[in-house]
Amino acid sequence: MEQPLLNRSEMIILQPSSLKESLKVLNENPDAEIMANASDLWPRIRNGEVRPKKILDISGLTNELSYVKKDGNVIKIGALVTVSQLEGESFVKEKRFSAFVDLISKFGSLQIRNVATVGGNVCAASSSEDFIPLFLALNAKVKLSSVDGERYMSVEKFLAGKRKLNRRPNEILTEISFEDPGPGYGSAFEKVGRRNMLIINLVNLAVVGKIAKGKIEDIRIAANRVKGKIPERAKTTEEFLKGKELNEETLNGAKKVFGEELILTDDMRASATYRKALLITILERLIKKIGGVQ
Amino acid sequence: MAQMLVKINVNGVEREVLVDPDDRLLDVLREDFGFKSVKEACGTGDCGLCTVLMDGKPVLSCLIPAFQAKNHKILTLEGLNNDPLMKKIQDQFREHQAAQCGFCTPAMEIMGWHLLNRKKEPSKQEIKEAISGTLCRCTGYYDIVDAIYDAGREQ
Repeated sequence: MEQPLLNRSEMIILQPSSLKESLKVLNENPDAEIMANASDLWPRIRNGEVRPKKILDISGLTNELSYVKKDGNVIKIGALVTVSQLEGESFVKEKRFSAFVDLISKFGSLQIRNVATVGGNVCAASSSEDFIPLFLALNAKVKLSSVDGERYMSVEKFLAGKRKLNRRPNEILTEISFEDPGPGYGSAFEKVGRRNMLIINLVNLAVVGKIAKGKIEDIRIAANRVKGKIPERAKTTEEFLKGKELNEETLNGAKKVFGEELILTDDMRASATYRKALLITILERLIKKIGGVQ
Repeated sequence: MAQMLVKINVNGVEREVLVDPDDRLLDVLREDFGFKSVKEACGTGDCGLCTVLMDGKPVLSCLIPAFQAKNHKILTLEGLNNDPLMKKIQDQFREHQAAQCGFCTPAMEIMGWHLLNRKKEPSKQEIKEAISGTLCRCTGYYDIVDAIYDAGREQ
């Protein structure tokens, strides 16, 4: 058996006390692995999957990165906001953001929700991260901070591949933000795993849209897998649906288009056929939910 | 890297401990401080048996690096030895025979205590949700849910 514990106790832990200092330390140690509350990273370090020489621990920066605020029409979520904290936020309780409620109620367990951060979920960048499809459907942006300043990038562009980010080595993700789509919009999220709680999903799907008087005025669809192994938007299906009446014919058409858009592969958790059937069923259910029909 | 000195408040007592960079809070609580109510089963954040309260919130001590626990307040079952609510919960666990092998019992009681502190008379559904991240392989959960339910009504 492989010896996974090799040198683990040699890690150098960097724990700056402010964001400014953290950015400076990261600039000097660009090889450091950034760690928030570690619920994803820690087990991977312990089992030897990730072997960082240095860890930049930013979990102590809650004074600076644990905010949720509305700035004009934009909702801003600090990278260290935990899933439990987000659950208590007022915007989450508004009907058009009900996808957040759907998502949080099935996220890990209470013990996990108390530590898992929204920023960490995005940075983990694997298909099991539930917030990514929802942020994709909300056209969310990440804020990347470094000693050189700040820049914004769409979540879509930020995800470069499975566990890969378009991040310069001296940058820290400090915020996720998205425009409030406004009244009239709705959102929904669903995931399916082998049981309800504490499970890595087989599929998840988020839909944000505006369906008024039976007409689909706007719709954005994202799933954990569409063509590759990271979450993506299903843009062909979106284009098909936009402007159409919400009726049986449209839904049947969308299911066919979505089925053709999905290019999935089998893996240890599920077959491509099963995943496809799940996604198509969930898409219909979520569109109906947003449109307010059974 | 050399060991790090970490200050942690455990069960109301300020303590200092030297930790390795790869130590977990679980290791420190069990091995350095001797709080054996904190159990390790999976060690990967799935089973919930290493649950402790950190700043009043249930967390998994196997997922928390020891160096991140600095300056936090940790509460384990040992810290609730003289707590009247915990006594009620434990009496009900006995009454309902809610402990079989007993390995999950400390975590279940901590989750029950945390829930009853926030809500005096939770429904059985709320209890099920509260303990859904804590696995038991013996009881089938009914006795545990009933014990927490009755402890709530007894308050």
